Amino acid sequence: MTQLGFYIDQARCIGCKACVIACKDKNDNPEGVNFRRVYSFEEGKFTKDNNGSFIQNVQSYFLSISCNHCDVPKCVENCPTTAMYKREKDGVVVIDHDKCVGCKYCEWNCPYGAPQYNEELGKMTKCDLCVDLLAEGQRPACEGACPVRAIEIGPIDELRKKYGDNADVKGLPSSKITKPNLVINAHKHASN
Amino acid sequence: MNEWPLLIFTISIQAAIGGTFMLWVFQFINRRKDLNLFSLFKLPLIVIGILSVVGLAASFAHLGTPTNALNTIRHVGSSWMSREILVTGTFIGLAVLNVTWLFYHKKVLPWLLIVTALVGFVDVYCMAAIYTHSLIGPWHSVNTFLSFYGTTLILGAVLAVTLLTTSLYKKGIEIEAKQFLKIGLSTALAGFGLHILGTALYTPEATEIIIVSSSISASVMATYKVITGIRWVISILGVSLLGYLTLSSYRKSYTILTIVTLLVFVLSEGMSRYVFYLLGS
Repeated sequence: MTQLGFYIDQARCIGCKACVIACKDKNDNPEGVNFRRVYSFEEGKFTKDNNGSFIQNVQSYFLSISCNHCDVPKCVENCPTTAMYKREKDGVVVIDHDKCVGCKYCEWNCPYGAPQYNEELGKMTKCDLCVDLLAEGQRPACEGACPVRAIEIGPIDELRKKYGDNADVKGLPSSKITKPNLVINAHKHASN
Repeated sequence: MNEWPLLIFTISIQAAIGGTFMLWVFQFINRRKDLNLFSLFKLPLIVIGILSVVGLAASFAHLGTPTNALNTIRHVGSSWMSREILVTGTFIGLAVLNVTWLFYHKKVLPWLLIVTALVGFVDVYCMAAIYTHSLIGPWHSVNTFLSFYGTTLILGAVLAVTLLTTSLYKKGIEIEAKQFLKIGLSTALAGFGLHILGTALYTPEATEIIIVSSSISASVMATYKVITGIRWVISILGVSLLGYLTLSSYRKSYTILTIVTLLVFVLSEGMSRYVFYLLGS
């Protein structure tokens, strides 16, 4: 099996959310359902110096996140129907809609907020890494849409060889929980 | 809070489980007496059966695609939800079997009652495990187990007292009614104790939701504290009412008072469950 995964260059991300829109458009998702999301983080404050003037000490950064097709996916482990499963050939976590009952339990078991309930379908939905586009030799929607090339999708071994193996940044739950197939180049203010 | 179906489901099933256990206790302590259990247990077993079916309907209301419901028992090996659904289904089946047996054979099967109650107690464990195994921090607590068992004991005791003692008094079986009231009060106090212990060990402020960009807002914490405070006051009122019923002698208003006591406890346990889901959703 060649496990696929994501490389996210958080240092490059400008928070434009083109990846969110491309994903939503590709999957024709209704309002409120976003397989990929960009979270913005702000911290710091204006501080007063010895002269009584105020110094700007505010930082902000963004984080683009979707399903990370984890090695230990708690959504798969806890899904009562076995609808949520990991594909053998590429390790992508997908949902078999013929089995899904729409109980939303996977929502409570994913650190990345990946499984999302689709009211119209009455079932859970999530990122499938655009396996249909990959099969046609195209790039997944989020990767193709990113104007700063902050997202790269490919075999996780290759991504780790190129970019290292960090998957922990401020604002993201520990990678020890589900062992995500994710590599992040952390923004300078987001390093743990 | 969007989990009303789950609130109704857990409260109904836990009341039915506790009620079944209390009926078994009643028949066990009076097993050497010549009581007409068919007529005494008719109403309580029907109500328990109805509660079970209401719980089942509420659990279906929680599902987006109820037609796929049978798939939910496919993952018993690793999913607590699968286990809970299987055990709940078994409990409901046994609860309905108790009623059917009663009407078909005009008698109570004590071993079936205790088997139903034991399956129910396992079910309460499975229900709580669903939440403690999720990534929602406020549910990762021994309080989840203690409060679920507490509710089971309290509602079971008060339900059985309400449905059984009135007919005992009306049939002139006063000593047994008094004895069962004392057992009911003790059981409810034990349940109350589990809630107190659970609350003492529980610090929702110190837990976090281990899901990206999720947190318990200050307004949710404030609502939690206010509702929890009111809930304790209502619980104390309920215990006082049950204590009064136990210590006073039978009077005309007895039936109304037992129903009021039951409603007070349904309210307090419902509020306890409301804040449980409020912190997690």
